[in-house]
Amino acid sequence: MKFGARLTILATVFLAMFGVVGIRLWFVQVAEGAQSAEIVEEQTWVQIRSEPARGDIFDRNGVMVVTSRFVPRLVVDRRFIDPGQKDALIQKLSGLLGVPAPDIEAGYEAAGLNGRFPVTQVSTDTAYRINEQLSALPGVSIEKLPQRVYLAGPTAAHVVGHLGLPDEADLEERPELDLNARIGKLGVERVYDELLQGTAGYSELRLNRQSEVLEESQPVNPIQGASLYLTIDLRLQEVVELALESGVFLANEVKDEDRANGQEVNHDAFRAAAVVLDVTNGEILALASVPDFDPSLFVGGVDAATFSALNDSKAFNNLVIAGLYPPASTFKAITYVAFQEENLPLPADLPQVNPADGLVHCNGTLRLPGFEEGSQQIFHDWYTGDKGWLNIHDAFEQSCNIFFWSIALGTWREYKLTDQESIIQSWARSLGFGERTGIDLTGEAGGIVPDRALFQEWKEFQLENPDAPARLEPSRLDLAEGPFLGGDLMNFAIGQGELTSTPLQVAQAYGMLVNGGHSFTPHVVSRAINRDSSVAYQNPSGLGEQVGLSPDVHSSLLSDMNRVVTSGTAAAAFRDFGSSIDRVGGKTGTGQTIANNDNHAWFVGAGPLDSPRWVVAVLIEEGGSGGRVAAPVARHIMQYLMGESPTPIVEGAAAD
Amino acid sequence: MTLLARPDAPPAVSDRRRNSPDRVLIGASVSLALMGLLMIYSATRVGLERNNLPASFSMERQMIFVAAGLILVAVFSFIDYRELRHLAHIIYGGMVVSLSVVFLFPAVKGAQRWYDFGIFQLQPSEFSKTACLLTLAAILARPAARLEWQRILQALMVMVIPAALIFLQPDLGTMLIFAFLLMVLLFGAGISSRQALVVSGAGLAVGIAVFQFGLLRSYQLDRIRVLFNPNLDPTGIGWNLRQSILAVGSGQLTGKGLFQGQQTNFQYVPEQGTDFIFTAVGEQLGFVGGIIVIAAFLVLVWRLLVIAGAARDRFGALLAMGIASIFAFHVLVNIGMTIGIMPVTGLPLPFMSAGGSSFLNFSICIGIANSIWLRRSPVPGEVIHS
Repeated sequence: MKFGARLTILATVFLAMFGVVGIRLWFVQVAEGAQSAEIVEEQTWVQIRSEPARGDIFDRNGVMVVTSRFVPRLVVDRRFIDPGQKDALIQKLSGLLGVPAPDIEAGYEAAGLNGRFPVTQVSTDTAYRINEQLSALPGVSIEKLPQRVYLAGPTAAHVVGHLGLPDEADLEERPELDLNARIGKLGVERVYDELLQGTAGYSELRLNRQSEVLEESQPVNPIQGASLYLTIDLRLQEVVELALESGVFLANEVKDEDRANGQEVNHDAFRAAAVVLDVTNGEILALASVPDFDPSLFVGGVDAATFSALNDSKAFNNLVIAGLYPPASTFKAITYVAFQEENLPLPADLPQVNPADGLVHCNGTLRLPGFEEGSQQIFHDWYTGDKGWLNIHDAFEQSCNIFFWSIALGTWREYKLTDQESIIQSWARSLGFGERTGIDLTGEAGGIVPDRALFQEWKEFQLENPDAPARLEPSRLDLAEGPFLGGDLMNFAIGQGELTSTPLQVAQAYGMLVNGGHSFTPHVVSRAINRDSSVAYQNPSGLGEQVGLSPDVHSSLLSDMNRVVTSGTAAAAFRDFGSSIDRVGGKTGTGQTIANNDNHAWFVGAGPLDSPRWVVAVLIEEGGSGGRVAAPVARHIMQYLMGESPTPIVEGAAAD
Repeated sequence: MTLLARPDAPPAVSDRRRNSPDRVLIGASVSLALMGLLMIYSATRVGLERNNLPASFSMERQMIFVAAGLILVAVFSFIDYRELRHLAHIIYGGMVVSLSVVFLFPAVKGAQRWYDFGIFQLQPSEFSKTACLLTLAAILARPAARLEWQRILQALMVMVIPAALIFLQPDLGTMLIFAFLLMVLLFGAGISSRQALVVSGAGLAVGIAVFQFGLLRSYQLDRIRVLFNPNLDPTGIGWNLRQSILAVGSGQLTGKGLFQGQQTNFQYVPEQGTDFIFTAVGEQLGFVGGIIVIAAFLVLVWRLLVIAGAARDRFGALLAMGIASIFAFHVLVNIGMTIGIMPVTGLPLPFMSAGGSSFLNFSICIGIANSIWLRRSPVPGEVIHS
C-alpha cells in the first residue's frame, strides 16, 4: 500500500472520530441540554427549612391545653462547610457548647454530604453569644425550634397523647416525614397530626462551589398548624381524674378491709377508666385512664428507663377505648330493652317463674329441672336471701340475675336454631357492642358479642389449628346442635361469658338508650381552625338513626335507672347525692373475671333524666363490687355534673 | 544554521523563497490561541478575583506563551526539519534525562510532572511527545524495501522508555499518546498486516498486564469506572465528569453568552482554565461555538495531513503525520473527556488550555510542520534523501 493510501485511511479515521465527538456534542448540548440547564440552575440553590410550630389545642371552653414555644437550637449545615474546616469547627463548637466532640462528629457523619443536623438546644444566653461569632463559624446557625408545652400536664394525657420520632411503620405510611422531626404518636396529637403539623417555611440561597452565598430569595415563613378544639371540658376532666384515682384508692382500702375480715383478695387495684359523654351528639366531655403519663416527658425525647417503666405499667393504654371487660350487670339494660321491645318469653315450666304476670322469684338460686336432658342445674345469684317475686323493673333495680337468666332461657327455648335465636345479640350490636365506636383516638378495641355463628367460627378454627390456644372446651366440639349452648345465652344476658366491651362501648350503649335510641359517634375533637381562621376540620357531630326504642320502654328505663340510685344497688353510694337525685340514674355492674382475679367494678350513670344530656361510665379493674367502689366515683362526678357539691368518695354497699 | 548543517545536507535556503508558509495552518492555530485567551479569561476571572488577583492574570500569563509560541513557530519554520533528523538521538537523550530528573522535584497535585522555576513550571513530558516523534520518524524513515522486525523493535524501545517514565509520574494520558504515535507511525511506515497483528497483540497483553497487576492507581481506575457509570458517586469521584457534562450540556444550542453561565462563574467545574477549558466554550457559546472549535481543529489536522502528503521525503511525511496524530489525539481525548466519552486525563486542549509547556510544544509542532511545508518541492537536481 502506498503512503498516500495510508494517509487517506488515517484521514478517514480522524474524520470519523471527530464526527463521533461532534455527534456526542449534539446529544449532550441539544438533545439533553435543556435538562442539564435545569439541573445546573437547581444545583446552585439550596433550601433552608424552618420548622412550623404545631397547632395549639384548646378544651371545649377555649381553655388552652397544649401550645408551642420556640427554643434556640444550634444547627450545623454541611453544605456550607469546606471539608478542610471540619475538625477545627467541631473542636470550636465542642468548646462553646460543652458537647463532646465525638458526639458532634457522629451527627456530622450521619447527616450526609448535604445534610443539616441539630447539635443541641442552647440557652438564650449561649444563643446570643454564638450569634456574635457566626461569621467565624461557617455552616453554623441558631434556629428557632418549636417545642410543645403541655399546660395541663398529665391531665387528659390519653386524649392529648404525645409526640415522638417516626418509626418504620410511620415512615412507610408517610414517606415524606423527616426522620428528625417529632410527630404525634398517641391521642389527638397522632390522629390529627397532619392538621396540627403546619407548613414549613423555607428560604433559598444560591451558592458557588465554595459555598459562599451569592443570592438569597425572599424567605417564606412557616405557618403554624391548625388549632384543635377538644370536646373535653378541662375542669370536668380534672374532677373525673381525681375521682377515678380516689376510686382506685378506695378499692384498695376496701380490699384491706376484706382481707382483715378474712375474705379472699387476689390483687390490689391499680387500673381504672372513666368517660363522660354528651348523649345528644357523641362529644366526649371527659376521658380518663389510670395510670397515666405526662406528655411533657416526650418533648425533648424520653429516656429509655422512664419510657419502659411507663410502658410496663401500661400507662399508654387508654383503657376507656382499649380495655376489654365483661360489661357485667350494666349489660342488663340491653337485655331489659330487648325483653320489653321484643316481648321475649319467660320459661313456663319453672316453679319460680310466672310468665303470665311477668314475675320471677328472686330467691338466690335458679333451679333448672331437665334443662339439659337428664340433668339438674343450679345457678346461684350474687345475693343471699330472698328478694321476693320481682317484675322486670324491680329486677333491674335489684340487679336480679335470675330474672335475666329466665329471659335468656325463655328466648333460647322459644327461638333456638331459628333466626330469632340471637335477638338479644342483635340489640347489643345495634347499640354498638362488638364493633369499634370509631372514636377519633388510636388503639380502640372492638370487643366480642358471642352467638352461634361466632362459636361455630371458633370451633372450625380450633379443629383446623389443634395447636392454637383453644377458646372452647373440647366437649363442646362434639355437640350435635353446635358449640353454642343455652348457658352461653344466659351468661350473655347478664353481661358475662364471652361478651367483652370497652368502657366507651358501655357508655355509648347507655347514651343511645337514654337519648331515646339515637346512634352517634363518640369523638374528642369538635373542630380545627387554621391560622387564617378558616375551618380545617369540623366533626359532623349529631345524632344518627333510631335503633327502634319505643318511648314507653325509654321512659321506663330512665325511671328504673333512677330507682337503682334511690332504692336499688347504688342507693348506699348515692345516699348523700343532693336534691337533684331524682333527676339522675344508673346501673351497677360487677364483672366476674378469670379465676384468681378480683371482680371489675362498674357503674354507668346518666342525667338529667328529664332531658338526658350525659352518661358517665366508670370501671375499676379488679376493683371489686360495682355498688361499693365504682358507684361512689360515678356519684361524685354526677354531683359535679348536676351542680351539686361533690361529696367524698366513700364506700357504698356491696351490690352487683 | 550552517554550524549545524552536515556536509551531506542539501542546501535549504534556496527553496524557502519559492514556497510560502501554510497560512491556513498558522491562521487556524492563531485563531484557536486567541479563542483560548478569551476562554481562559472567562473561566478564571471569578476565581482570581476571589484570591485578590487581577481578573486577567491567567490570560495575561497565557499571552506571554502565545507570543513565545509565535516566535517558536517562526524559528522552527526557519530551521530545516531535516536538520532535526540528525539531532534526533541527542534530543531523545535529553528528553529521557529531563523525564528522569523531574522525579527529584517536589510533587504538585500528587504528580511529579513539573520543573518549578518559580515563575514558570516546565513540564518536560509535553516536549517529550515531539522528541519521541522525531526519533520514531528518524528510525522508521530509513530507506528500505520493507519494514523489518528489527526496526519495529527499535521503535518500540524508543517509545517504551519515555512512556514508562511518564507512567511513573503518573500521567496516563501522555503515556497513551506514545502508544498512539507508535501505532500511527508504524502504519505510515508500511507495517504489514501480520506485523500489525503481532504488535497489537503484544500491546493488548501489556495493557491487560497493567490492569491485572494493579499498576494503575486507584483514581485512574475510578476515572475509567466513572466513564461507564456517570452516576457512580456523583459527589465524589464522579463530580468532575458530572459537572463538566452539565456545564457543556447547559449551554444548549447557542450558549448562555460570553461571561454568562453558573457552572463557569460559580466555579462548579474544576480545572476549568486548563484541562476543562472546553466546558467554558460549551457553556458560554453552546453547540455552535463548540462545533466551530472542533472544525478549527479539523482544519488544522487536515492541513497537517496535506503537509504529510506533500512532504519531500519520508522523514517529513512521517513527522507531519505524527504531528497530525498528536493534535487529533489531544483534541479527541480532551473534548471527549468533557462530554463523557473519554476517561478524565490530564491532556490539554491544544492552543486553548492555559499552560506554557503544552502551548510551546504545540507551537514547535506547527513550526516543524510549516518547515516541512516550506521545503516540500525538491530543488531541481537535488538528490532526494530517502
